Amino acid sequence: MKSCSPEKSYVRVAPRGGEVNMEAADCSSFTIVHLCLLPVLQMTGRLLWTDGCWNGFLASINFPSRLTRLLPPPPVPGCLTSYTSPLIPGGFRGTTFTNVRFGSSRSSSMQSRLRRTLGITNITGILSSGSSEKNPTTKITFTEARKTIIGDVGSVRRVFDFLETWGLINYSPGPASKLPLKWEEKETKSNTALSQSTEPTGNSVEPTVPKKRLCSGCKTVCSIACFACDKYDLTLCARCYVRGNYRVGVNSTEFRRVEINEEIKADWTEKEILHLLEAIMHYGDDWKRVAEVVGGRSEMECVTRFIKLPFGEQFVGASDSTDVDKKFYQMEDQNNTEFGLQSFGKSFANKRMRLSPLADASNPIAAQAAFLSALVGVEVAEAAASAAVKALAEFSYGAIKESPGSLSSHTRQQEHDATANGDTSLKTLEGSLLDVKSQLDKEEQDLERAIFSIAEVQMKEIQDKISHFEEFESQVEREWQQLQQMKNTLFVDQLTLLFNKTPAPKAGESVQQLVKIE
Amino acid sequence: MKPHAAASTSSNRNTTVKFRIPTSDNLVPIRLDIEIDGQRFRDAFTWNPSDPDSEVVIFAKRTVKDLKLPPAFITQIAQSIQSQLTEFRSLEGQDMYTGEKIVPIKLDLRVNHTLIKDQFLWDLNNFESSPEVFARTFCTDLGVEDPEVGPAIAFAIREQLYEIAIQSVASARETRINKKGRRGAAEQFPARKRREWDVYEPIVDLLSSEEVDALEAREERNART
Repeated sequence: MKSCSPEKSYVRVAPRGGEVNMEAADCSSFTIVHLCLLPVLQMTGRLLWTDGCWNGFLASINFPSRLTRLLPPPPVPGCLTSYTSPLIPGGFRGTTFTNVRFGSSRSSSMQSRLRRTLGITNITGILSSGSSEKNPTTKITFTEARKTIIGDVGSVRRVFDFLETWGLINYSPGPASKLPLKWEEKETKSNTALSQSTEPTGNSVEPTVPKKRLCSGCKTVCSIACFACDKYDLTLCARCYVRGNYRVGVNSTEFRRVEINEEIKADWTEKEILHLLEAIMHYGDDWKRVAEVVGGRSEMECVTRFIKLPFGEQFVGASDSTDVDKKFYQMEDQNNTEFGLQSFGKSFANKRMRLSPLADASNPIAAQAAFLSALVGVEVAEAAASAAVKALAEFSYGAIKESPGSLSSHTRQQEHDATANGDTSLKTLEGSLLDVKSQLDKEEQDLERAIFSIAEVQMKEIQDKISHFEEFESQVEREWQQLQQMKNTLFVDQLTLLFNKTPAPKAGESVQQLVKIE
Repeated sequence: MKPHAAASTSSNRNTTVKFRIPTSDNLVPIRLDIEIDGQRFRDAFTWNPSDPDSEVVIFAKRTVKDLKLPPAFITQIAQSIQSQLTEFRSLEGQDMYTGEKIVPIKLDLRVNHTLIKDQFLWDLNNFESSPEVFARTFCTDLGVEDPEVGPAIAFAIREQLYEIAIQSVASARETRINKKGRRGAAEQFPARKRREWDVYEPIVDLLSSEEVDALEAREERNART
């Protein structure tokens, strides 16, 4: 898939399961591209870069500098082929790599030379060998790649590393991030806004953190989870990890997730657990008091510990549902989230939810949602989910489509209706699913009908044209015959003239005969 | 290592060029054959000598990790690669003669299930030549499906070119090679004799598994003796 624009050239690869269509910032210098590259690839699909970035890009893959002079900067009218990054957990198909062109003015030998020096064929080779794997979930190792690619192994390795770093091959989504999140620019903005608001509250909630972990990227205290890289001795908070605020050479897979809550909390002694249970028995869901009883533990810690107890679920189910609702909202207020989080929580609860309190922190919103849903228990989460579904269904029939855009736009609209979603509805999740399916069918039929009508109209047009041409043809035929007759009479006239000049009665007769014949 | 353009195009037989593989990319063929504790690792690939030495260790580690070999292999592999590279580099400083030399290159290799037999002439003075391009074209033209054949072909060509280049360095002080080459070039007619056609035709055979096993056993026996 190639597309050219006069000022920018961009790079897109389709992941398995269709294209991811997202926006990215335009970057005019390589450093910005680079810092943005990973998160841009992670959160968006398209990289836009202008000519100046090209050299930087090459430098990042250690392209031998002596050869850069052979390369032209990507010319303005010509562009690189499109690649989107597979970030969204759907895996990678890797079959849409097409020829790279460096502008139409280059001769083909120059093209092939450029391609060779650039190692683009290596990229092709790696990508195509990756796609030809019978089992697409296995990763392609560097050794396999370099065995099948004709070329020196050093450059193959560099290209391979590059592709792996940016997720163009061997992309494996994080284990918990199964939520099909659709990111758009507004959402990402609200993400950052939300995550920043929760961060300081995270600090206040756990004041007694013995081991403070400072993120080396943004220099804030890591609250929920952090990522540690032992190789380079880095610690990053979840946000920085997602944004890729780390050094160039560091591979994202080299980070391991470190859960702060579990790490910081000292083990609950039996006494404490006993106090906790007693308090819960007395106060039910009043976690403030429970925390007081269990001296030295914050509410959050109490709650998480309680959930982790083997019988926690039963207790939650026994209490009054309205109380639970209230607590749910209180919890949220305590967390000091913006009202948008509520709706986000519900809308994402719509999709497959995880009860693990600390889900994959690469998605802070999802982590919050998962955490909250785990806090409040199954029924409340269900209620919230069905309320969200109802709200979604209320908007329009076009709301529940598979296209990412509309779904996300409706989650945005939900922000405004968030406060109204207090009531529960009877529709279960399965019911909503059936609705979705029926609506899909309807739309398919509509589409088919539309296509039929278009085809009919076009056929009519063609038929009209055919009849018109036939008429024309017959007309032309007639004219031709007239012309023939005129030609013949002219011939006859000429003959008579000739014969009359030479007085010969026989000739005259013969001419008359001729005329009769004509 | 920039080729001397004048040397390659002029007909001056006595020009010397700094040693390099006479192809457009100055890549070194590296062959590995390491045996540790009964486990054998054989491999052949091309290496760019201008890569930093750290690359060697990275590559060794990567290979061992990918193929799940015991870690003792890492040092062995790295050493082997390094020694071959130093050997190459030691030759780099010296001169080699180029003269008009068209040499026959023979391919006789077996990669997985594919058997390749071929012979063709290669111009040593063509510093723009590329075994990689040749290998790629070969595979596309003959419809070779196994993707590992291409690199093996390129490697085989490179190895032979490397050998010839070494010879030309070794005999740079002598002028015998030059004269021979000249004579050879003059005698050749542009059209090949009919009986030689079969020799110069590429043969690609797909073997069955049994044949592959039989050949492997024979090769091992030959290697041991």
